[in-house]
Amino acid sequence: MTTGTFILKNAFRNKRRATLSIMSVAVSLFLLVTLQVALREMTVPPEDVGSALRVIVRSKVSIANLLPARQRPIIERIPGVEAVSPFSWFGGKFKGDEEMMFAQFAVDPKQMPILSPDFHVTPAEYQSWVSNRNSAIVGRLTAEKRGLKLGDRFTLSSIIYPCTLELTVAGIYAGTTDDRNMLFHHKYLDEAGGADGQVGTWWVKVRSIDEMQRVTDAINKTFENTSAEVRAETERAFALSFISMMGDITVFIGWICFAVGLALLFVTASTMSMAIRERMRELAILKAVGFRLRELLGFILAESFGLAAMGALVGIGGAWLLYTHTRTASYAIGFVSVGLLLWAVLLGWRRHFLAAALALLGGGFFGNIAFYVFTNDTIYKLTQGFLLTLDVTPKIIGIAATVAAALGILACVAPAWTVARLSVVKGLKTLD
Amino acid sequence: MALPVTYNVRNVFVRWRTTGFTVLGVTLVVAVYVLLQSMAAGIQQSSGNTGDPRNIMIVRKGSTAESSSQVTREQFRLLPYLPEIARDAQDRPLVSADVIVLISLPRRDGNGEANVVMRGISPIGMELRPQVKLAQGRWFTPGKRELVVSSRMGGRFANFGLGQSFRTGGKELTVVGWFDGGGSAFDSEIWMDTDEARSIFDRENYSSVLVRLADGASAASLTNHVETDKRLGLRAEPEVAYYAAQTKSASLFVFLGNFLAVAMSIGAVFAAMNTMYASVGARTREIGTLRVLGYRRRAILFGFIIEGAFLSLIGGVLGCVAAWALHLHFGTTATMSFESFSEMMFRFRITPALVIKGLIFSVIVGVMGSLLPAVRASRLPVIAALKSV
Repeated sequence: MTTGTFILKNAFRNKRRATLSIMSVAVSLFLLVTLQVALREMTVPPEDVGSALRVIVRSKVSIANLLPARQRPIIERIPGVEAVSPFSWFGGKFKGDEEMMFAQFAVDPKQMPILSPDFHVTPAEYQSWVSNRNSAIVGRLTAEKRGLKLGDRFTLSSIIYPCTLELTVAGIYAGTTDDRNMLFHHKYLDEAGGADGQVGTWWVKVRSIDEMQRVTDAINKTFENTSAEVRAETERAFALSFISMMGDITVFIGWICFAVGLALLFVTASTMSMAIRERMRELAILKAVGFRLRELLGFILAESFGLAAMGALVGIGGAWLLYTHTRTASYAIGFVSVGLLLWAVLLGWRRHFLAAALALLGGGFFGNIAFYVFTNDTIYKLTQGFLLTLDVTPKIIGIAATVAAALGILACVAPAWTVARLSVVKGLKTLD
Repeated sequence: MALPVTYNVRNVFVRWRTTGFTVLGVTLVVAVYVLLQSMAAGIQQSSGNTGDPRNIMIVRKGSTAESSSQVTREQFRLLPYLPEIARDAQDRPLVSADVIVLISLPRRDGNGEANVVMRGISPIGMELRPQVKLAQGRWFTPGKRELVVSSRMGGRFANFGLGQSFRTGGKELTVVGWFDGGGSAFDSEIWMDTDEARSIFDRENYSSVLVRLADGASAASLTNHVETDKRLGLRAEPEVAYYAAQTKSASLFVFLGNFLAVAMSIGAVFAAMNTMYASVGARTREIGTLRVLGYRRRAILFGFIIEGAFLSLIGGVLGCVAAWALHLHFGTTATMSFESFSEMMFRFRITPALVIKGLIFSVIVGVMGSLLPAVRASRLPVIAALKSV
């Protein structure tokens, strides 16, 4: 028997315990990934290539206050400014929707290619957008979700402007960090009587990175002591101010992550110490036949680490599957459900009625979940409209895997300590 | 029956090294559950506690929040003459035109800025909101650049002390009083004179209109009057109902709490099962002895289920205690409201029902975790069990 098989056999000598431990680690890591992903969704501002050179100008009072349209030529005259476009959040409800499902902005289409180089749309579609005042271009994700095609017409009724717009899809854009938005002509909003000579924010493209600070200061200074003071800041600072508004909730999610990690540690630590206490006698024999302490500790560490790693595989992998391949995940859960149901039949056949009933319950439970995930196969539906995407980034996978590894090591500290102090005679006398 | 129960209960303490970890695991699960639900309860309480049942709020059709609504002066001029509106002793209609402005203000702890709801109200607006009481200082004087802030906001934002002032909209505003919103949504607001606010923030229109129903007048008839008038394009709704519906932010916490509770408890059930299986395995001989003494399988089964339930109930109690301590520590907290897009203050609110839910929850985890091990214990063959080492 090699050392590897020895460790493996030891880890699975009590199959039930090994399975239970792996499952509890998996559940906790699944949760950890979920929370981290949600937290990231809420706190990390997306960035694209153009964002380093963009300045967002909003009212100094607050983002919800509008700015007068007359500011535009004044900003354009500031040296270092390459392009300026209004950027007004419309807050529109798509025809027939109860809620706002995606953001729409009124902009100046002619400036968009300069302002946002990541914004990719075919030249023909761009031309048709620019030339038709009642048209809009739609982000790829939203277009796919809504089945919108070129030439489709739809209405948007705003919750902030007293008007409803009728728009035609002129193009589909992609390539930005958020391909969910919809952009349309600010002139159309003005004509529809909604804007009343006002805009939400200004987007300003600065010529070079060295001029960012100077331009930002100049814009702020220009409108100081006017009736509409502004706050100009880099796009990143602007995005961060949104996160600051989230208040204490991000802190709480951090705390919960910590609690989950801690619970995870308790569970794994208790399993490991149980596993070791159970075989004190064997360890004493191993010691007696000449195994060194570091070899024994190696066995324990490998076992604990291995259990944590398998839990990590199931938990992190499950989270990744559910959040990035939701439909596939529903099949996988359905598969588990079917497996449990078959097992129930088998157990019933063998007259283990209680176990069969429990397996049946478990199968039903997973079947329900599979059905739920299958029918709500987008993150938007799964989170009841709170989040649109959940990206399981390599960084988050890394964090969760590190936690699992740390856990594997920490959980065997106490058993290792016991083994190190174990005297052979005492160990041989141990009963359980 | 009595012996197995005491035997099992005492075992939880005797083997505290094994049971301790499981207890702590359950503690964390219950604490997280109770705390998150207490946040949801706090939000629901503050929105459910807002408004006067005799008031009707009028906003623009199609707007989902007061802050995004607009009522023009022409529209407002038509409203006070509706027959259903109450009048005071001087025969003035009890109507307040409010203007809502979101102001971005620095937090006191230097942790960035947050939007605050600034409500401009007519002098009569205070009469319409009897639940808001002055706590310190005085009310603002109409026509002056003065404002009163909620005492809960007072501690969270810079320059909210009495007599302090801050600049916004290019003007200097002075805080002259702190008010107590009585645990309502008004605790997240600052108030000033409505026409002064309109001039400072350059608002042509009001945001909403609050009216008091005359005695005996029907809300339905007023609502009907307002909503069928084509000149108006407004929507009327009881004030209480309007605020009670503003709980979208609470649903986030309810969802998060339930989700975490279910997910974490699955992990906790596995942990409890592990502990109980180990416990049964280590006590095979003791169980055999009990059987020989004449205790039935049923007694052993229930004894072990009770042990599991008790073990996890300890965790539940500790979890509630932890949640209670944390709720006292945090007291009031704030997050961004999804409706008004501004800082929303609320209290953690641990209700007895919530505690009981948490405890029941922990017992369920214990029973589910100990069911299979208990069955195993009750089915041990007596002689073999006695012989086992």
